[in-house]
Amino acid sequence: MVRTTVVGSYPRIGDSHGEQVLRRAIARFDQGRATEADVRDAEREVTRAVLREQADAGVGVVTDGQVAWYDSQSHIAGRLDGVEVGGLLRYFDTNTYYRQPTVTGPVRWKAPVLLEEWQYAQDASRAPVKAVLTGPVTLARLALDRHYGKLRALAVDFAQALAEEVAGFRSAGARHIQVDEPVLTRHPEDLSLVAETLDALAIRKGPAELTLATYFGDVAGIYRNLLELPADVVGLDLAQGAKTWGPLSKHGSEKPLALGIVDARNTRLEDPKALAARVSALRDSVDLERSYLSPSNGLEFLPRDTARRKLSVLVAAARAVGGGP
Amino acid sequence: MTALETTSVGSLPKPDYLVRARAQTARGKMKAAALRRLEQRATAEWLAFQEEIGIDVLVDGEQYRGDMATYFAENLDGMEVSGLVRSYGNRYYKKPIITGELRRAGPISVGWFKFAQGRTRKPVKGMITGPYTMMDWSFDEHYGSREEAALAFAALLHQEARDLEAAGAKVIQVDEPALATRADELPLVVKAVGIVTKGLDAKTVLHTCYGNYEEIYGYFNRLPVDQLDLEMSNSSLDLMERFRRDPLKKEIAFGVLDVHSHVVETRAQVAERIERALAIFDPQKLVIDPDCGLKTRTVDEAKAKLEVMVQAVRVVREEHGFA
Ligand SMILES: [Zn+2]
Repeated sequence: MVRTTVVGSYPRIGDSHGEQVLRRAIARFDQGRATEADVRDAEREVTRAVLREQADAGVGVVTDGQVAWYDSQSHIAGRLDGVEVGGLLRYFDTNTYYRQPTVTGPVRWKAPVLLEEWQYAQDASRAPVKAVLTGPVTLARLALDRHYGKLRALAVDFAQALAEEVAGFRSAGARHIQVDEPVLTRHPEDLSLVAETLDALAIRKGPAELTLATYFGDVAGIYRNLLELPADVVGLDLAQGAKTWGPLSKHGSEKPLALGIVDARNTRLEDPKALAARVSALRDSVDLERSYLSPSNGLEFLPRDTARRKLSVLVAAARAVGGGP
Repeated sequence: MTALETTSVGSLPKPDYLVRARAQTARGKMKAAALRRLEQRATAEWLAFQEEIGIDVLVDGEQYRGDMATYFAENLDGMEVSGLVRSYGNRYYKKPIITGELRRAGPISVGWFKFAQGRTRKPVKGMITGPYTMMDWSFDEHYGSREEAALAFAALLHQEARDLEAAGAKVIQVDEPALATRADELPLVVKAVGIVTKGLDAKTVLHTCYGNYEEIYGYFNRLPVDQLDLEMSNSSLDLMERFRRDPLKKEIAFGVLDVHSHVVETRAQVAERIERALAIFDPQKLVIDPDCGLKTRTVDEAKAKLEVMVQAVRVVREEHGFA
């Protein structure tokens, strides 16, 4: 079968009472009836469940589900020097909101942000856990910049800070590191800035496999340039970004891809055989042995039970493609 | 219209007894009829409060709704409600799923509108979750086209608007919080909302919030409603400058209360925000309200915020000699 992976986030609660420990812990914390340690325990319990669900489905390279993240921006940016966390803003075209990081001074890394969460998940998982970082250009685009006045300068400093995170993952033995730049589906003109900043991360990664993930739309206009960036694997959203199928089919890829074929924005369940047929058609132009199949983006936009079923669809599709290890 | 008319955006917090009753009903420990009586009690209490403090155009407070999209979805054929998905922080909602051809079996919100309007002489707004937001906030397993789904919602929400009007609604508000989600779909928003409001005699209002207004400004005058209701308490000076340069050709309901903050604004703060609006808008076309629904605040916070708002309006009206 083709290898499988996920993009990052996973629903942190489900519909049953037992699946709502984190929601209850946070509610009690907000009322002053629980401590931060209680919330941490609940996060870890959910992280273990999320790892179990990915393992049960048979996913090859998993994530911690970003269970402890308030959102994809403030969780990282908010722990850097020079950044404060501000008001709620819509996150891309999702019906979810993030707290907007406000940049008030030079952005500097001060201490590991994600390492402990990753280490906890890897210790609890047999499958390799991919460490996932929101990319510097996406962080810069989605922040409110009150200090730099130039996107590039801000993105470069975010990249310097994230490079420390990458180095930390490397020392801890992470085999898979992913950098998310969904902003490329909205601002393809940021490609050269992504190239520049990704370079700063890539030189710190050591032997780890570095994935650049794009999602929430297509990258059809920059497809070939994207493959030249300093990443080992390039992730594509082939559901909401179905337009990317065009250049993908036409040009193929020598670089391994993470093919986001399972729609992580819609509850409708795909037919694994139909997905497998589309992937198999790429056999001559894409190195499927070294590529992955994945959902189109993080799974947290779906209800928990649907997310589980989507993982089963993903693995069934990968098996139906056949070949490989 | 009176100068600086006051209103609310829609939702108001549920009192504790109703929150408990909803949880009991969900666990099968309370009958629907008993819950309904408590929803009516809470609605009546909120109407009385709004009258008492002197708000001009009232809302029913949506005590019977869980989520604004889910409520309409539960009452439409061709829709189901999914499991919980996250909105932000620790807030989750049950996102609707379009599973088949959309149909309206009967009026959705008209019963509650009649209940509310029957308890006051002041106008109560009829409230509709807009077609674009219904589409954008639902999983679509049926249409496979965002435009088709939005227009299907628009056709049946027009019938709902007609029924509200027939029941006596003088003001009908279409909630489109998703309006600014995708700039390339603004023409679809205009088209879909236009279908809902077409031929209505009632005053029509469109509420939206938490978007980048600068990006969508060019569409404000094209939205087929009489009044735009915007979250403005955190608005930038740039946006105000834009309003000055490129005047709005309709009424504006100007949000002056931050609904996401526990902190109750001072009268001076709110008065200052109203003055900022008065520097640009004609007082006869300027309505004052909170940024958005107040349902995420506690009952006490919501009441305190609304009281400060009405007091601030009174002060400003007096200072400017408005009747
Ligand atoms: Zn709103």
